[in-house]
Amino acid sequence: MIGNVIKYEQDNIDTDVIIPGTYLKIHDYNELATHAMEGLDPDFPSKVKDGDFIVAGKNFGCGSSREHAPIALSTCGIKAVIAVSFARIFYRNSVDGAFLLPIEVDEETYKKISNSDSLEINIETNEIKNITKNETYSMKPFSEIIAQIISAGGLFKYKK
Amino acid sequence: MTETLFEKIWNSHVVVERDDEPSLIYIDRHLIHEVTSPQAFDGLRVNNRKVRRPDLTVATIDHNVPTTDRSLPMIDETSSTQIKTLEKNCKDFGIKLFGINDPNQGIVHVIGPQLGITLPGSTIVCGDSHTSTQGAFGAFAFGIGTSEVEHTLATQTLWLEKPKTFEILATGKRKNSFAVTSKDIILSIIKQIGTDGGTGHVLEYRGDAISDLSMEQRMTICNMSIEAGSRAGLIAPDEKTFDYLNNRKYTPKNYDDLVDDWKNNLMTDANSKFDKTFTIDVEKIEPQVSWGTNPAMVSDVTSKVPTPEEFGNNNEIQIESAKKALSYMDLKPDTPIVDIPIDRVFIGSCTNARLEDLKDAAEIVKGKTVNSAVSAMVVPGSQMVKLQAEELGLDRIFKDANFEWRESGCSMCLGMNPDILKPGERCASTSNRNFEGRQGSGGRTHLVSPVMAAASAIAGHFVDVREWC
Repeated sequence: MIGNVIKYEQDNIDTDVIIPGTYLKIHDYNELATHAMEGLDPDFPSKVKDGDFIVAGKNFGCGSSREHAPIALSTCGIKAVIAVSFARIFYRNSVDGAFLLPIEVDEETYKKISNSDSLEINIETNEIKNITKNETYSMKPFSEIIAQIISAGGLFKYKK
Repeated sequence: MTETLFEKIWNSHVVVERDDEPSLIYIDRHLIHEVTSPQAFDGLRVNNRKVRRPDLTVATIDHNVPTTDRSLPMIDETSSTQIKTLEKNCKDFGIKLFGINDPNQGIVHVIGPQLGITLPGSTIVCGDSHTSTQGAFGAFAFGIGTSEVEHTLATQTLWLEKPKTFEILATGKRKNSFAVTSKDIILSIIKQIGTDGGTGHVLEYRGDAISDLSMEQRMTICNMSIEAGSRAGLIAPDEKTFDYLNNRKYTPKNYDDLVDDWKNNLMTDANSKFDKTFTIDVEKIEPQVSWGTNPAMVSDVTSKVPTPEEFGNNNEIQIESAKKALSYMDLKPDTPIVDIPIDRVFIGSCTNARLEDLKDAAEIVKGKTVNSAVSAMVVPGSQMVKLQAEELGLDRIFKDANFEWRESGCSMCLGMNPDILKPGERCASTSNRNFEGRQGSGGRTHLVSPVMAAASAIAGHFVDVREWC
């Protein structure tokens, strides 16, 4: 999986900035996506390209249980969020609905990746190749349950 | 073998457990609301599935209901559609709904305990992160996303990784137990362990300072467990718990037998090992006020807004986040907390809108008037709380002081209904999250206790509420 990086050098990017509460009434995913990251970066929907990755610091997706958060990002084209750590519900929501991959990396890797870098993520080998910088990093492997849900294609296909 | 309370609840709900695989956990109660359920019902329909246990599923409407006169038609069409969708889903799938005009309508985490739906030792889920509130009854209660809502509706089970255990030991006695509240205890804990301090763990709050709290105060503590990133918060049930749940609308008929069983089983065994432990002495806790944009950015009321360097403690990212927070909050470092003026006051939310919260706030407000620069509102957590408060005359006290007295719902906690801050407005709020834009785009939230919110409404700025009582 190859994509370009949109980096936010921040910890605690919460679900209220990913998709503000007022939009949780929206049922249509495409309309929801026009408000993705509105609380942090209102230009996000216009600059994001299909296949892009978000890179951020610790505790990404903290706050609400709204599945609208990974839905909004994924509908915009985000295929993975690479972060130092994730809040639990966002993490599970991302894989349960097969919306995007939540990938954990160490602090050092997070610092090495720059905005606009082109990355290749390989979840078989747990490696992230930085094509722009010609570097290779390791990602934290998924736990057994998460790996199984991801390979099944979501919670409902898992153990069906 | 010794076990913690959490491990006992977990073990008694395991349906499938194999080495190196996730566990399938049985769910005793499933609460749903209008915001995180529509796609789940869509999924059931598409796959031609039924709700497996409608009798264990309960719904209410709380997030986007107006808190003004409900006999009038709703102005917001998308909210109205979402509400009608839940009404239809509940009807189609045979689920009990406490609808918009039901006397039991209210914030889902307020009505669960109030109706005796929340029981010790049970597993409770809801598509809402503050489900952790109900851990105050010794239940494993946690928030889930919409895919998991659908999975629970279809199977009454969930695939879960077993969380680790984290003991929060609260010792000592609060110096002023009226002015230093359970909200101040939990804000102090989050300030110290951080917004991700509990990630992957279930927190069990223990110690004399926890036993000392009423059930409603315990709910405030467990409610904000999620703000420390934890899966859930838990408090072992005791006589206060059993008394609270006795004779509620849905209290089981064999309640006395259940209580006997809970008394024998629902506690952490002596010498049990937790994966992590944190100790806090509540005697040292002062009234707290948040100054930043996450619930760990909190200060004692007698202190000052910190400099980014003081807050960041040599961590560059933390220093930068404090700078950003101060800029968003329009605050200068070294400003005394009591010198921060406020525009709005919100007493409400699943954190602090139960009867005791309103009683304590009314005690401060009685005979006084809201500062002319402030607009203040009280939004009871449920219709039942509202009615009980009105029977005590609390509505009169608030109204006489120029507070607005509203209908129940989530309201200004998350800005889904018309109750929002205008850009730049500064609010003393009894809710749980001070994230950017949470209470309305550009709005500035300071998290405080109900007594602090009440006193600040009168003064027009934060005050050391210990001097008021």
